[in-house]
Amino acid sequence: MDTPLREPTFLILTALAREPMHGYAIIGEVAALSDGRLSLRPGTLYGALDRLTDAGLVELDREETVDGRLRRYYRLSPTGDATLAAETERLRRNVEAATARLRARAARPLAPRTAGGLA
Amino acid sequence: MSTLERRYRHLLRAYPPDYRHDRGDEIVGTYLDLADPRRRWPSPADAADLVRGGLRQRLRAAGATDLIPGVRLAALLALTTAAFLAGFWTLVEQSPPPPETGVPVFGPFASTGLVAWLAWLVVAVLVLVAPGQPTRLALAVAVLATVAVLLASPAAGLPRPPLLVLVPQVALGVLALTVDTHLPLPARALPITAVAGGGMTAYVLGHSNYWGSYRWTSEQLLPAAGAVLLVVALLLAVGLAMRRDWRGGWAVIALLTPVGLLSVHILAGAVDGLGGAPRPTYPTLVGAALTVGLLGPAVLPAAVALRRRIGNSPGEPCPTCGARR
Repeated sequence: MDTPLREPTFLILTALAREPMHGYAIIGEVAALSDGRLSLRPGTLYGALDRLTDAGLVELDREETVDGRLRRYYRLSPTGDATLAAETERLRRNVEAATARLRARAARPLAPRTAGGLA
Repeated sequence: MSTLERRYRHLLRAYPPDYRHDRGDEIVGTYLDLADPRRRWPSPADAADLVRGGLRQRLRAAGATDLIPGVRLAALLALTTAAFLAGFWTLVEQSPPPPETGVPVFGPFASTGLVAWLAWLVVAVLVLVAPGQPTRLALAVAVLATVAVLLASPAAGLPRPPLLVLVPQVALGVLALTVDTHLPLPARALPITAVAGGGMTAYVLGHSNYWGSYRWTSEQLLPAAGAVLLVVALLLAVGLAMRRDWRGGWAVIALLTPVGLLSVHILAGAVDGLGGAPRPTYPTLVGAALTVGLLGPAVLPAAVALRRRIGNSPGEPCPTCGARR
């Protein structure tokens, strides 16, 4: 799968990092992880799970029937685990670099104009 | 089975039968888990999500997962071309034929085409500054305005641009409706840049010429615009294919209809045995446009069917549950 991961993909993998989950639980977990910004619908979620399964990042864990409804639980595969870790590290470095630049900018007084002004 | 579940299952028919058999219970179960228990009908957003998911799955089953990104790429190219032409024609509209010629005009402008071109200029601005719903709405308005100019002007006895100009613009607009409005800034700047380019081209080319009629101009400009659009799409397709990204091929196929309609004058000339000569007969022009308009849109589903025929191995297991089809 191409990296950098798109945000929904990253959050689905992050949701599954804790434990195997079924579709309904993944939707709730992604909404919580994104502070409610991202609300996946089932058609979109299962399409994404198919792509992640094709790419070997997600595996089927088990099936259960609850209240007459079939629930399949999905888990991160070892490849998915490694991909999520690498992507998280990439994002962490970007955040650190941006934070350092912003701190330096806030600490530095604005330099006066030294050239190019009207005499 | 509840009424709501039955209705979700009805919508599930958007998915291929094999996939529905393997995954239908799971998908419908998740919709029901999320739905308010008092609800009797799926929400419009759920219905759209199911249909979209079904279409994606059908394309995936046909090995054509790049089709939707490809059509979106074609939509951006179509929108840029439509914006270029709108910029060009807006300037042409400002040079109506002089009154002594007796040619009908639309107020201080050459024709009612100005209404459509202004709607396209609004689209180009909104793509840049207000992506999302405002852009989608403006795109729909621009396509409807172009169709309205085409159909209503003769009924109202007002002059309009020739069909040769309006029909390709509608075809470009219909394809542009599928554009991804949340694009990076450089891509969103393309339509407004194209408007400026179209206006500049009209100014430079027509500075000292007579612009009152669309006829001569459209016969020169539209095939050239179609050729440039096709060449750009082909170059993009080759460039992307070198990175094993096949959406450019789908983009070329999606653009065949508008490119054909932009070049209909040349096609009709070739049919008349004139080797692209500038004066094909009117019935040949209409016949060529109808042929392109009917055959062009059929190429995309035909390509998907061909891709499915040559690309699928029978008995492939469901990627998620492993079940054999």
